[in-house]
Amino acid sequence: MIEIAIPLMDALSHVLILILVALGLMIIFGLMGVINMAHGELFMIGAYVMVMAQQWGIGYVGGLILAPIIVGFLGWVIERGLICHIYHRPIDTILATWGLSIALKQAVVLTFGPEAQSAPLPFDMRVGIGVFEYPLYRLMVMGASILLICMCFWVFKKTDFGLAARAVIARPQTSEILGLNTAKINRTSFVAGAALAGIAGALIAPTISVDPQMGLGYLVPGFLSLLVGGVGALSGVIVGGAAVGGSGSLLTNWISPVASQIVVFLMALVIIRMRPNGLIGGRKK
Amino acid sequence: MTLRALIPSFTLMVILALLPLVLNGYWVGQLNYYLVYGLFALSLSVVWGYGGILCLGQAAFFGIGAYVMALVTKGMILPDITSSLIGILAAMIAAVLFALVLGFFLFAGRGVQGAYLAVMTIAVTLMLERLMSNWYALGGYNGLLDIPPLTLQLGDFFYEFWDAAPLFYLLLTIVFAILFALQIFMNSRYGLLLTALKGNQDRLTFFGYGILRLKMSVFALGAAIAGLAGALFVTIDGFASPTLIGFTLSTEVLIWVALGGKEMLLAAFLGAFVTRFAEGWLSEALDDFWLLAIGAIFMVSVVLLPKGLIATPLGKIGEALKIRIR
Repeated sequence: MIEIAIPLMDALSHVLILILVALGLMIIFGLMGVINMAHGELFMIGAYVMVMAQQWGIGYVGGLILAPIIVGFLGWVIERGLICHIYHRPIDTILATWGLSIALKQAVVLTFGPEAQSAPLPFDMRVGIGVFEYPLYRLMVMGASILLICMCFWVFKKTDFGLAARAVIARPQTSEILGLNTAKINRTSFVAGAALAGIAGALIAPTISVDPQMGLGYLVPGFLSLLVGGVGALSGVIVGGAAVGGSGSLLTNWISPVASQIVVFLMALVIIRMRPNGLIGGRKK
Repeated sequence: MTLRALIPSFTLMVILALLPLVLNGYWVGQLNYYLVYGLFALSLSVVWGYGGILCLGQAAFFGIGAYVMALVTKGMILPDITSSLIGILAAMIAAVLFALVLGFFLFAGRGVQGAYLAVMTIAVTLMLERLMSNWYALGGYNGLLDIPPLTLQLGDFFYEFWDAAPLFYLLLTIVFAILFALQIFMNSRYGLLLTALKGNQDRLTFFGYGILRLKMSVFALGAAIAGLAGALFVTIDGFASPTLIGFTLSTEVLIWVALGGKEMLLAAFLGAFVTRFAEGWLSEALDDFWLLAIGAIFMVSVVLLPKGLIATPLGKIGEALKIRIR
């Protein structure tokens, strides 16, 4: 029981963070067709905000509030300064955000040094669930992630903004003709996607070592989750995240981490190739 | 095509050939690296600029070439056959085979394009890097050391390219022979088909051309050049490591080619050459700011000069001379 339960819980917490990252990517890619290669760096900066907040004495809660604000603002600057000039050249957004990711990474190295940092856990307790014990903080991260994911769904499915955003995803030109301010919706969504990456980074920061190179380790699995699940439907991200993150995390228990990563990547490539619309994506219109 | 169109590349070759007369041994050694990186950049220019395939994992082919060359010349495959020439051939063949398999996987049927292709090629190069870091028979994380330099054997004549200057002229010959050949080749019917493929592949299918064959051929051509570059690289460096097959080098070559100009072979070559030269020259002065600067320059050039920082002025010169520089 314990041998299965703990890896399952670990896998679940990994999956939830991956879904948060992939959701941010999805909002930006689904809405604007922009591939944000700097998403991993936004995530990394969120984690750094948490580390710094604790060093400055603002504390954990302060970091958690500050991270989405700072990274969201950064997202706004990126959208205004870079992305809005190249909306009509989707392939170039890959290159431009790649340049951005290198610059951001190096800016962090210059400011905080290349070495790994760590943020202390806000509370170091373990709670018993049935027959095994699990760190309380990880449970809290899982709860917070689920809350955030639900919030995203609520915003997209139930609010006016969500309706407008879905309209822009489905028919950008028609929405514009009907009087929707697509530029503004895009900008808001980009900021939202960035803020989501920021808060995900802040949440996970106390459980991992935070270093300037950490972004890539989340960007590529995040993208694979997005493509495996299927672009377009929010629920695709959950399926994709569960498939990529869950299998990766579970396989590490039985085979080496390297082998498991290779297996997961291969699996993801085959799925993307065989089902270009994703596991739950519908037929191509 | 008239030979006039080759004049700019020829001029560059003459200038480069004169450089060892004024530079010291250290810088000639560095030029050898730049030449090989330039060759590598040519391979991505062919695949991306001419074939329209945005491959974010081009280092996979470079790395395969590097490892195969290392294995052959160190005698780890067949102890008796360690000739450089066979090593180079094996390296290119291995890279091409991998490209054909990967190309078929990626492009058969409806095929993968754009963002999907970009993400999938990154995943491939990350996978290979992981694999090589943990393949202990091939050196694992530490890589393969003591790879012999290039040798030439004709009957009783035996020569080893130890010194920087002879090696420089050998590499210069190889790299420019390939550059000229590519420039002529891209001006042929095949180049025209590639332009059509980039423009509208549905229409090309409609005219009865096989898209898959065309894409796989250009992918394999790029892989052969990248494999050659990788093979030459390890003979200069004496060292094959997982970084040669991985993500960082794939990023770097993408930046060189994009900065130079992906749709012009000469510009892509110069992009690698100049960026590397600037790095060697400035990175001491700029230190950690170098990467920050390169990231920023890259962003600005993508937004403002999508054709490339070197290709744009070269194109103007070409217009003035009434030639199309490739």
